[in-house]
Amino acid sequence: MDFYFGLAQVIGIHTLLGFSAWCVLQTGQVSMLQGGFFAIGAYSAGMLTTMWQWPILPALLVGGLLAGIVAVIVGFPALRVKGLMLVVATMAFAEVVRLGFFNLTWQVSSPDGMIGPDGSLGFGGIRYFPSNGWSTLEVCVFIWILVAVVFLVLGWLDRSRAGIIWRAVGEDELAAQSVGINLTTAKVSAFGVGGVIAGLAGGVFAHYATHIEHSNFNILLATFAIAYPIIGGLASLWGVLLAAAFVQGFLIEGLRFLGDWRSLLFGALIVVVMLVRPDGVLRRREPKAGARHA
Amino acid sequence: MLKLENLSRHFGGIRAVDQLNLEVHAGEILGLIGPNGSGKSTTVNLITGVYAPTAGSLIFKGANIAGDSANQRIERGIARTFQNIRLFNNLPVWKNIWAAQVVRESGWQGLKQRWFASASEARGKTLDLLAFGDLSHKADLLAGNLAFGEQRRLELIRAVASGADLLLLDEPAAGMNAEEIDDLNQRIRQLKNAGKTILLIEHHMELVMDVCDRIAVLNFGQKIAEGTPSEVQDDPHVQAAYLGDDSTEPA
Repeated sequence: MDFYFGLAQVIGIHTLLGFSAWCVLQTGQVSMLQGGFFAIGAYSAGMLTTMWQWPILPALLVGGLLAGIVAVIVGFPALRVKGLMLVVATMAFAEVVRLGFFNLTWQVSSPDGMIGPDGSLGFGGIRYFPSNGWSTLEVCVFIWILVAVVFLVLGWLDRSRAGIIWRAVGEDELAAQSVGINLTTAKVSAFGVGGVIAGLAGGVFAHYATHIEHSNFNILLATFAIAYPIIGGLASLWGVLLAAAFVQGFLIEGLRFLGDWRSLLFGALIVVVMLVRPDGVLRRREPKAGARHA
Repeated sequence: MLKLENLSRHFGGIRAVDQLNLEVHAGEILGLIGPNGSGKSTTVNLITGVYAPTAGSLIFKGANIAGDSANQRIERGIARTFQNIRLFNNLPVWKNIWAAQVVRESGWQGLKQRWFASASEARGKTLDLLAFGDLSHKADLLAGNLAFGEQRRLELIRAVASGADLLLLDEPAAGMNAEEIDDLNQRIRQLKNAGKTILLIEHHMELVMDVCDRIAVLNFGQKIAEGTPSEVQDDPHVQAAYLGDDSTEPA
């Protein structure tokens, strides 16, 4: 049973990561940096619970906040580039983040010996859950409560005017600007909110994995992040959830016997979705003429 | 209301708009006409802030707005439509309007209205505009699925939704049939009666001559004539440059 709880944890973490990319994609920006924000959240939350014995929730929140702040700072220069150039620029920055953690060594002594990030050896001993006696099920429930909270908050944002602003910018920047939408605030806010969520997901991941290292936050992770909303569609958050469950539950875990061939399938899946359903698997349902909904 | 003073925009060696002086008075409908490539759309793009002028100044309600960003100009009260329709195609009709309703309040109330207003409270504020555009029954359709004429109407009311006093209509009649143009004519008049000032860029001469109070004619980025519709029609420069024998042909 623990295997399935573990898998559910992974799906929960990846769903959060997908939500973070969903925000940024709403404004028409393709960011390969969600893995970088995830890393910032992972390292900072992990350091807070191990080196300074913070409880888990504030540590996760601070990790998310830090990632969000970095996202806002990166969001401004990212405004200057669009399309492919933005992909390349965010990819480059993601490498900077990864190499930053590759070189980060900051350890303090604890009853169990030295603890903290140890450069290329990674950052081990993030054992908040086991040392506080949380069962796999409890951790699983905790993660999914977080997913539910983020889901509700984002769903609310999407239904309020913020969602309209983000979507309008994603549809047509010139038209959005011409109706008085401030492109800077729209794009930077999407980056910021996405950054907070990715940081939160990273913090959870660090405590799920107990050992993290720079290679966890490579280009594959960033690809996963944007793949979920691309496969699931931008119309609703359910698509992201389904895509994360499908990719992590079936493609990665269910087809484990295929070994590294799975990456190929993952790539093929994105191509197929782009070809067959370019708006994602879940599309916006079009209301019938005359139907009303608020 | 709006004054263009020696406004120029050069693209490399091409003087798209050259030393243009033009004044739009409050409450009037000013037609801006000229052959293709005469600088009409560039003028609109200069006024709305899509392009920065190479030289000259733009005075709106007494303030120089040449340095303002596009969305600051909307806040001041200048809105536009596009020659080629640019709606938010994957948003429902009424949300296209919601997105365009500029929040001018500052502080906490403004922030709340701008970002966190809920759909249920916002929808009520779009009903009048939907009715004006004759789109009430299509409010929930995606804008991209509207018929062409309806998309044109939605663009018009989306510009009105911003609360702007000055509307720049960039070829609103393009691609419309006679009936639709007649309908547009009525709507433009209604907007004028509601106190809006309108700068109408248009190729359809019948509409321009009928609806405009004054007309300015551009050619090669320069103003070659300005006056009432009949004055402009009789102007020999205009006839030579633009109207010629083609004036009787439908656009």
